[in-house]
Amino acid sequence: MEPSATAWSFDAHRRRSDRVVAGVAGGIADSLGVRDGYVRAAFVTLLTIWGLGGLLYLLFWLATYEKVEDRRIEPVENVRAIGLGIAFTGLLFLLGAVGLWPSSVVVLTAAALAFGTAALTDPSSPGPFAALMDPEVQKVGKARLVLGIVLLAGGIIMFSTAVGRVFELSVVFLAVFLTGLGVFVAFGPWVRRLLGDLSAERGERIRQEERAEVAAHLHDSVLQTLALIQRSDDPQRMAMLARHQESELRDWLYGIAPLDGVDLVSTALKQAAARVESDFQIPIDVVTVGDAAVDDRTRALVLAASEAMVNAAKHAGVDRISLYMEVQGEDVQVYVTDQGKGFDLGGVPSDRKGISESIRTRMERVGGEVAIDSVAGEGTEVMLKLAP
Amino acid sequence: MSIKVYLVDDHRLFLSGVKAELDSDFRIVGAAYDVDTAIEEIRGLRPDVVLVDVHMPDGGGIAVVEGVTETNPDVKFLALSVSDQAEDVIAMIRAGARGYVTKTIEPADLAGAIQRIHAGDAVFSPRLAGFVLDAFAGAIPSDDDPELDQLTSREKDVLRLIARGFAYKQVARKLNISIKTVETHVSSVLRKLQLSNRHELARWASKRRIV
Repeated sequence: MEPSATAWSFDAHRRRSDRVVAGVAGGIADSLGVRDGYVRAAFVTLLTIWGLGGLLYLLFWLATYEKVEDRRIEPVENVRAIGLGIAFTGLLFLLGAVGLWPSSVVVLTAAALAFGTAALTDPSSPGPFAALMDPEVQKVGKARLVLGIVLLAGGIIMFSTAVGRVFELSVVFLAVFLTGLGVFVAFGPWVRRLLGDLSAERGERIRQEERAEVAAHLHDSVLQTLALIQRSDDPQRMAMLARHQESELRDWLYGIAPLDGVDLVSTALKQAAARVESDFQIPIDVVTVGDAAVDDRTRALVLAASEAMVNAAKHAGVDRISLYMEVQGEDVQVYVTDQGKGFDLGGVPSDRKGISESIRTRMERVGGEVAIDSVAGEGTEVMLKLAP
Repeated sequence: MSIKVYLVDDHRLFLSGVKAELDSDFRIVGAAYDVDTAIEEIRGLRPDVVLVDVHMPDGGGIAVVEGVTETNPDVKFLALSVSDQAEDVIAMIRAGARGYVTKTIEPADLAGAIQRIHAGDAVFSPRLAGFVLDAFAGAIPSDDDPELDQLTSREKDVLRLIARGFAYKQVARKLNISIKTVETHVSSVLRKLQLSNRHELARWASKRRIV
């Protein structure tokens, strides 16, 4: 089950750029690691078998999401492409075997033309069409409109011919489908833009959540370090803190999550405690009962616990902090306890984001609970809880 | 008459530190750096309480506890360690130690723990409380003595609060019970830990290589 860099990992997405219709074929090509032209040719070929290609295209379109960042995967080709080609041929035979075969001439001609075009326009083998497919020269919009009108006209002609003769059901279906496809191709982008407006609000909300996540992370890491540096008058320690923060920020920015490689919550908590211990020189007693796997929710729990420990180390004025985690069935509970100064919960100014943003928001975002119990002069206990 | 304390630890520096800390409150009757000397001297000196390190060459603290308990069952042991290995700590308790504290303990707390052990109570550090909760987790009672194989919910409450870093006094206040009751619960847990043949405990122990 260990996914490696070369393993198949199908990311069901549509391409946003470098697409012909809606980016479905491009997305599949990126996921499979083959040239997009061949995937398009496969769709075109299947289109001649009672419009199966169009149906599949629609289904894929519904089942995928539009990938915003364009991290194009370089095609792997060769062995994998040949394998997929054999599989595709097998699929054609299968369709023939179950009786879904309109006419060998039509299907094979389409396949030959489609795959031939794909091969000629393959950017890795320069041919007469390669220049045409250059993104600089490409006029996808016009081409789409022309193709749409051609298909629309063809569909209408075939439809009227069929009506004029006997009602051959299959021809009618094909005609209706081609008509629909023509409309879809010609007006698809416009319809999609309308739908896009509807999802814009959702997108904005997601962006806001991401912003809160970034703010929380920066608060935990960079702002804490800056505060420490301000307090420190030892240049060596300042340099150490800055270096440590720099490498951590780099890891975070360039995609290595701080908890990567740790698969148990107890281990992640111990690491977090060790970090607070070394940053603040205050011992933390970590006691764990049971264990759970690190996932998005428990990751948030660990980060919230880490923030609670930092708060205790900074504000409680104690020489030791207790961290207790217990997993009971699906419930995970974490207590961060100190016997320090304690504080009045109402008296924390709202711009002090430590508790409000990092702990509470973090936990609420993953559906967890936070209870903070503090008595002035006796200490503070932060309880974090995740229930399914 | 002050309590007679004997120390066993192969780290001389730590030993002299503890000696200095405890000298004013207790009568330190002796100290040993190795298992064999310790067993021999404790048999002769009959101290009230022995502080014994878990990790030592030649069998470790468990060899000392077993060797002395054979002949002098009235000597009480408090295990002391930097190690966090559950298997070693539980093995010490099952061999007869009445408590376990980590070496990072404050001198005043260590003194309190020795007095508590001498009075016949058990001393559970947060870590030991966590180990015990872990060992008794799950609910598969064995057939011979179900009472010994499970912790009551009150005992679990007490252990959880200890694991969260609260002292007995604070535990008592949080649960609205007396300190004496907290001590009773802890002693009862200790008895279960030492005597239970609980299926789960055995499996938990063997998983961590204890026999």
